[in-house]
Amino acid sequence: MPLHKYPPRIWEMLKMKQGIYARLPQHYLRSLQETRPPTAVHWKPLGVKYRLNPETKVRERVQDVPIPIYYPPESQRGLWGGEGWVSGFKYANNDKLSNRLKKCWKPQLFVRELYSEILDQKFKITVTARTLDVIDAAYGFDFYILKTPKEDLNSKLGMDLKRAMLLRLARRNTELHPDDPARREMIYNKYKEFEIPEEEAEWVGLSLEEAVEKQRLLEHKEPTPNFITCVDKLLNELAVQKLSEPQVVEK
Amino acid sequence: MWCRSRYVLEGLAREFSRVTVSPVKNFSQTACKNTVVVERWWQVPLSKEGRPPRLHPRRHRVYKLVEDTKHLPKEKMELILTQTVPKFGGRGDTVIVKKSVGRNKLLAEGLAVYPSPENKQMFLDEKKQLQEGKLEGRTQTRTGELTVKFLKGCRLEVGMRNNVRYELTKEIVCRHFLRRLGVFVSPHALTLPEEPITRWGEYWCEVTVNGLDTVRVPMSVVNYEKPRTKRRKKWQKGEEPTPQGAELMPQGEEPAPQGEESTPQGAELMPQGEEPAPQGRSQRRRERS
Repeated sequence: MPLHKYPPRIWEMLKMKQGIYARLPQHYLRSLQETRPPTAVHWKPLGVKYRLNPETKVRERVQDVPIPIYYPPESQRGLWGGEGWVSGFKYANNDKLSNRLKKCWKPQLFVRELYSEILDQKFKITVTARTLDVIDAAYGFDFYILKTPKEDLNSKLGMDLKRAMLLRLARRNTELHPDDPARREMIYNKYKEFEIPEEEAEWVGLSLEEAVEKQRLLEHKEPTPNFITCVDKLLNELAVQKLSEPQVVEK
Repeated sequence: MWCRSRYVLEGLAREFSRVTVSPVKNFSQTACKNTVVVERWWQVPLSKEGRPPRLHPRRHRVYKLVEDTKHLPKEKMELILTQTVPKFGGRGDTVIVKKSVGRNKLLAEGLAVYPSPENKQMFLDEKKQLQEGKLEGRTQTRTGELTVKFLKGCRLEVGMRNNVRYELTKEIVCRHFLRRLGVFVSPHALTLPEEPITRWGEYWCEVTVNGLDTVRVPMSVVNYEKPRTKRRKKWQKGEEPTPQGAELMPQGEEPAPQGEESTPQGAELMPQGEEPAPQGRSQRRRERS
């Protein structure tokens, strides 16, 4: 059996350290590696490391074991507020000695029109009731999108909206409510705390493929045709030749 | 791709020494709503610290439904109105409505805003300014409008004795407003005709609500009759109803005053800017006698 120089499981990791991946902006790479567990939506975490056993009253160590949740591709095109499919089994009649049955709990989805103040536009988005509640808790759709971290938003659409909003805030002089300066000022003051530089805002929420494509386009240069270089070279030579000739001054 | 790159990123995480934390506080730690919550039937054995727990391939995927918050009683939401909405309230009022109403009507039509700290502070300042009377171009409040509407359909009857000389004063009319109509009117909001009223007849008085709207209320000054006399007259005229009140209250010169114990209808309609004028017991007795 042939041995590789590096074990195959770290090949992906090595890939990120060379080529175009290594030339991606630092803030984007940092945003990729900043992952934290998402908020518990479908289970109740204990939230403590030790607790008293309710029966024996003895202190014991406990552990939160998250329940694996499947996020279907549709969830990336809507705002499910961290909900997903809980697929597993249950016992018939809620009896542990009874049959084990396959069961998939899915969220109830609604289509709602949500208005964004920053983008000044309405969006028809697939949401869950939890999303609406969280929007209310955040005091508005824009606040929800801007405040929620990527892991809790858990949606490509949400991250795209976030990027668009951050770009609007960064380019507020030209794009944020161009016709209405008073409203622009009001909206900007409201969402001032979320403003980040434009260079960073452009990369927020991009997937790795998109980021690589963006970097490739940034680095891409049109190849200059050969004849242009030849003509330039010839012109240079002619100019040098002209200058090197003694200039005849007639009296 | 994503799954694999995730491992990559976790590896990268060790590489980067600098860890930035976003300055914005995370708010989505709130309780889950309208979401299915499950727990495992089988307890997961405790793993060593820093190690992921070992899950049994079959047992640890068996879940028990703890609750589906969809079926819990529906909660209400709190909003601040930005303009007068019939049956809800006026501008700056905090209302507690059903979520569907709040989202689909009030918020969608821009009639209300979320009660965020900034909005709350804004409306508080506005209310303070309105009370101090600094704000120019102020409009009638919702309760003020209701008061005006009520007063337009009203007619005031002032009973005066025939055996004493009197001149109708503002205090007497205010007292009758409270007794007869249940509307509290402070004397400075009331205007009486120029010439003094000393005889029975038809007159008018004007009430200014919140210093903005003035309503002219017709007022008739009539002979005062004791309730007992009134009842007797009515009995004599009709003949059929027996005066039960007279039997129940043999001593009763007058029925229990309604305007004081039960809250008068006008108490809620009372304009904000006016404070109740102190009225002594003796004053009331003088008016009745």
